[in-house]
Amino acid sequence: MRPRTLLRIARWESTKGLGGIDRGAVAVAVAAVAFVLAVGAVAVTGGVALEDGIYRVGVSEDAAYHDPVAADPTFAAVDTDGRNVDTGPPTPAGDGGVAIGGFRGDGRIDLYVEERAGRTEIYVAFFDGEPTEKGLAALAALRTSVGRYNDALMRAEDNRTAAFPVTVSIRFLDRSGTVAAETPGDGGGGRSGSAVDGGNGGADAAGGIGDGATGTGESGGMGGDTAVDAASFGAFDLFGTSSTTGSPSDIRPPFPFQSLVLAFLFVLPLNFLIQAYGSSMLSERLNRRGELLLVAPVGRGEIVVGKTLPYLAAALGITAAIVGGLWLLGSGGGPLSVLAVVPLALLFFGTTFLAAMFARSFKELTFLTVTISTLLTTYAFVPAIFAETSQVAFVSPLTLVIMDLTHAEVSAGEIAFSLGPATLVAVICFSLGFGIYREEDLFTQRPVHLKTLDALASRIHRPRSVALVVALLVPFVFVAELLAVAVLFALPVTFSIPLIFGTIAVIEELAKGIPIYAGYVHARYGRTLAVAAAVGSASGIGFFLAEKMTLAIQFVGLPGLAVADAAFQTGLGAGDPAIVALLVLAPLALHVVTATLTAIGASRGRRLFGIGLGAAILVHLAYNVAVVSTVV
Amino acid sequence: MIEVCDLRKEYGGFVAVEGSSFRVDRGEVFGIIGPNGAGKTTTLKALAGLLEPTSGTITIDGKRADSRETRRLLGFLPEESPLYEEMSPRSYLRFFADLYDVPRDVADDRIGRTLDRLELAHRDRALGDMSKGMKRKVAIARSLVNDPDVLIYDEPASGLDPLTTKYIIEFTRELAAEGRTIVFSAHNLYHVEEVCDRIAIMNEGRIVTEGSLPELKSTHGETVYHVFTTVEVPDATAEGDRYRRTVEDMDELDAVREAAIDRGGRLEDVRTVEPSLEGLFLDVASPERPGGEKPPGATEG
Repeated sequence: MRPRTLLRIARWESTKGLGGIDRGAVAVAVAAVAFVLAVGAVAVTGGVALEDGIYRVGVSEDAAYHDPVAADPTFAAVDTDGRNVDTGPPTPAGDGGVAIGGFRGDGRIDLYVEERAGRTEIYVAFFDGEPTEKGLAALAALRTSVGRYNDALMRAEDNRTAAFPVTVSIRFLDRSGTVAAETPGDGGGGRSGSAVDGGNGGADAAGGIGDGATGTGESGGMGGDTAVDAASFGAFDLFGTSSTTGSPSDIRPPFPFQSLVLAFLFVLPLNFLIQAYGSSMLSERLNRRGELLLVAPVGRGEIVVGKTLPYLAAALGITAAIVGGLWLLGSGGGPLSVLAVVPLALLFFGTTFLAAMFARSFKELTFLTVTISTLLTTYAFVPAIFAETSQVAFVSPLTLVIMDLTHAEVSAGEIAFSLGPATLVAVICFSLGFGIYREEDLFTQRPVHLKTLDALASRIHRPRSVALVVALLVPFVFVAELLAVAVLFALPVTFSIPLIFGTIAVIEELAKGIPIYAGYVHARYGRTLAVAAAVGSASGIGFFLAEKMTLAIQFVGLPGLAVADAAFQTGLGAGDPAIVALLVLAPLALHVVTATLTAIGASRGRRLFGIGLGAAILVHLAYNVAVVSTVV
Repeated sequence: MIEVCDLRKEYGGFVAVEGSSFRVDRGEVFGIIGPNGAGKTTTLKALAGLLEPTSGTITIDGKRADSRETRRLLGFLPEESPLYEEMSPRSYLRFFADLYDVPRDVADDRIGRTLDRLELAHRDRALGDMSKGMKRKVAIARSLVNDPDVLIYDEPASGLDPLTTKYIIEFTRELAAEGRTIVFSAHNLYHVEEVCDRIAIMNEGRIVTEGSLPELKSTHGETVYHVFTTVEVPDATAEGDRYRRTVEDMDELDAVREAAIDRGGRLEDVRTVEPSLEGLFLDVASPERPGGEKPPGATEG
């Protein structure tokens, strides 16, 4: 592959349409993007001001509640000096000296605060003898606001012990993991634990607000810091959701919502880029436009890579810009985030390339790319939800982005595990698509499923080549099974294990059976029983050998999950060598037998292929249930 | 220069070309004619290195047709003009010149001269906005950006108006006069007669016959005579105030003359009718001929 030729094709790919773009439309688009960015930047730095001043509170400047009200833009403080406020009798004061009452509302204020004889009385606007909805909402907002104000005062206190006299250690553990006993005072470590300060907030400022209008006030809200999301402490608080204070009721398992939302920024552009990329690839096929490139003295690989490069560069450029932007805003994220997006981008482009090689029209391509977007976004996001609770999260490269954004440490093994399968699948997609990037396949209008068979058959020349094709599909199997694990592991084991058994049997038998069938459809081998046995054996052995790559899961200890152990059947927990040997050889026998069943069916036609494949799935399922569930 | 030996191309179960062999010498214009589905386009694409033969060999200057080295020597014009319509002729041709590693100054000079010769004025207009004839001229110009020794033209004037067609055929003759080796396919047999030194007639994937036009005529064609008489004779057809009968030799002609005299008339005129390529084509490509039989397993594609 010659770099100069690649660059020529890449430059042509990125500039060929420039002449057809209306400059006015470009100017409008640029202006629109600039406007959106500017509004976004203002919203991020200054906050959204939709609720500013929606509640009007009558409070004098010398009242204790004036400062919290003035500090919260939700409120507009109105100095009434007690005029024109016709208050009713307040409820008895609580411990904090706060009493709640009502006043006849005239629409000018929603709450009225009065300090009388060392106690605070808060009046809600009444109308027709009932407190107004807005008044009650204002009271609730004031309660929250005062709590925040008090917490801020505590944090600003120099004497930390006085502010937070109680220390609470919280550590979140994997559901099925194990942890060594800790010595007292250990602050915990890793991504799921941290030592934090806690304590009771004082009522030295405004004091707490009673719970509702009953007047049962408290002298102080539960103040102090309670870490509920250790990982998010180090993260950039774009949405202001990362609270460091609260009550014990605020403690909940960490959920990297903010990081997930930020990570979405990294995936979003890929969904747009694949549309442009897929269209460009398909347009080479329609009207035979790509024929003349194939005649030119350039390799097919140079054409495909050259046409892909601008889109990949755009994806990485956008990713780098996002990382740079987040860095400027004070977030985490760096080279690891960009690195994590590379296999994800390759996966998006690889599958889209294959889809563009299969589709017969732009309509069909749109359907395929939307499917790809949905599936790959699911693949990227579902495991990443568990970024701070389970190792299963490393199934997705997006988890690395989240880790990077939250400054969490990631091992080389975790990086390899996270990036490896996606990269392999992408390479295989490109390889399969490349197999049919030739005149006699590129311009034919065959249904997608037949094109799939063409792509597989392009690498099958004799019975034993089936082994290689099946082995090539194992990364797909691996990713599909990992995704199944990620989706099913949250279910109770009684449901998840049978479901995973069935899913695994279907995925694996399809991976072994479809290449066998493709070979028969393209008359790559004879239809005798002996040949079917040879083809089935080749498929089974190829699958078995390639399946051993699933040992990569050892990198991150995924088999610690019961459902993962059931899926990958490592059996490494079995100490008896005979059992280990059985667990190594039994799958070989299983794969050969089931693939041979499928091959015998395929040699007799499409209908019997379906029956053979169904029988193979049943045998596989029986094996999973009988052998794995009793031995592993 | 071009050597095709026992070429066979199969798509799945369909045999598109079977056992084709021919040779084209340097500077020669070689025409391939045949009915639709005869295998002409498959043969030309195999020559251009686009299709890998199922069996047999194709060499150009002693090298495989699909080698990168050989493709540098070739200019291929497919039946359709699949251009990148968002590009202008100039940027389109420059891009292809780049792919052939033609230096930019040489490419610009060559593109300018070729477009001048083809009388294409709008060089910066989007190709999508051009007429079919103009697009065809751009496609021809593209086939020449690398100054190729060998040109493979598939139906160069297909679907064009008579004026543009005439122009393109004349341009092809000029290219031939420059000493380039041209393999040429066309449905319009007049164009083939105009341009080609030698002709192969294909049918059902096979080359049925091959040679120069005189050779083909002498081998397959038959000279006939139209004999005109003043009175009606057996098997004659009336043409105005006289009668015409077609005979194949002098003995038959003598018999017609005697018959006319017997009926009180006379032999008025005799015209010699040479075989046409069209006649040859219709005769050779006829399904009744042994060569026209469908190859086993072949279906209409």
